[in-house]
Amino acid sequence: MSPRTGLIRPLLFGLGTTAGLATALAAGGSLRRLDAVEVEGRSMAPTLLPGDRLLVEDWTFRRRAPARRDLVVVRDPRLASRELVKRVVDMSDGRLELRGDAPDQSTDSRSLGSIPLSAARWRPLLRYWPPLRAGRIR
Amino acid sequence: MLTLRSLLRPTRRVHAHCDVPCGVYDPEQARIEAESCLRIIEKYDASDDPLFRARCIHVKEERAELVKQHLDVLWHDYFKPEHIEQFPDLHETFWKATKQASKVKQSLDAGAARELLAMIDKVDQMWKGSGGPDKTRVNGRPG
Repeated sequence: MSPRTGLIRPLLFGLGTTAGLATALAAGGSLRRLDAVEVEGRSMAPTLLPGDRLLVEDWTFRRRAPARRDLVVVRDPRLASRELVKRVVDMSDGRLELRGDAPDQSTDSRSLGSIPLSAARWRPLLRYWPPLRAGRIR
Repeated sequence: MLTLRSLLRPTRRVHAHCDVPCGVYDPEQARIEAESCLRIIEKYDASDDPLFRARCIHVKEERAELVKQHLDVLWHDYFKPEHIEQFPDLHETFWKATKQASKVKQSLDAGAARELLAMIDKVDQMWKGSGGPDKTRVNGRPG
C-alpha cells in the first residue's frame, strides 16, 4: 500500500462517517443526540489518546444500562462541570465501577468510588480525528 | 448539539483523567524535608541567637508541613486498593507517619524527627515493594 492511499482511505472514512452521521442526525429529530468531544489525558491509553476527537451519543444508555466493558462519559463526582471518560469494569446496586485502560495513570473508581448509573448518559461511538485512527472505538 | 463548528473544534472535553499526569512519585521527597526538620532542630539546639532560633522554628514548621503534603500525595494518589492486599498495614503506616509529621511540626524534639525518618523509610519499603522505582521514576531512582 502506497503512503498516499494509506492516508486517503482513513481520511475518506472519517469524513464519510462524519458527514453520514451528521445527515442522519439532521433527519433524525431531536430525540437522538450526537456531540463531538475532545479527549484530555492519558488514562484511557491506548484506546483513547489525548487530542482524539470522538462522536458521543446519548441513545444507548436510554435503552439499556451501561454494561461491563462499555466506555462511558460521566460527570466528575468532584466537579460537576467536568466530564470523565472511563471504562465500566463492574456494576452492582445501580452503581458503576470505572477504570482507565491505563490504570497506572488513571484516577477512577479506586479513588472516586463507584458512580451512580444515572451519571452515565453519553457513550463514545467513534473517533473521527486523527484520520489515521478514525473508526469505531471498543 | 452537534454542529459543523463543534466537529471541527470541539469545546466539550472529556477527561481521561489522572490527578498527577506526570505519574512521578517517590518517598524520598518526604524524606528530604524530614531530614531538614532534624537538622534544623539540631541547629536550633546549638544556637543561642534568639533571631536565628525563631527562623529555625519557622522553617521547620514549613518543612514538616511539606512532609505531610508529600506523604498525602503518595497515600491517596500513588497507592491503590490493590496495594492494601499487599501491605495490610498501609493505612496505619501513613496515618502514623503523618501524625508524626504533625508532632515534628509542633515540637523541637530531635527524637521525634528521627522517628519520622524511620516511618518514612517504612513507606519507602512499601513503595519499592510495589515496583515504585521502575513504575514512577524516570530510569528508576537515580543513584
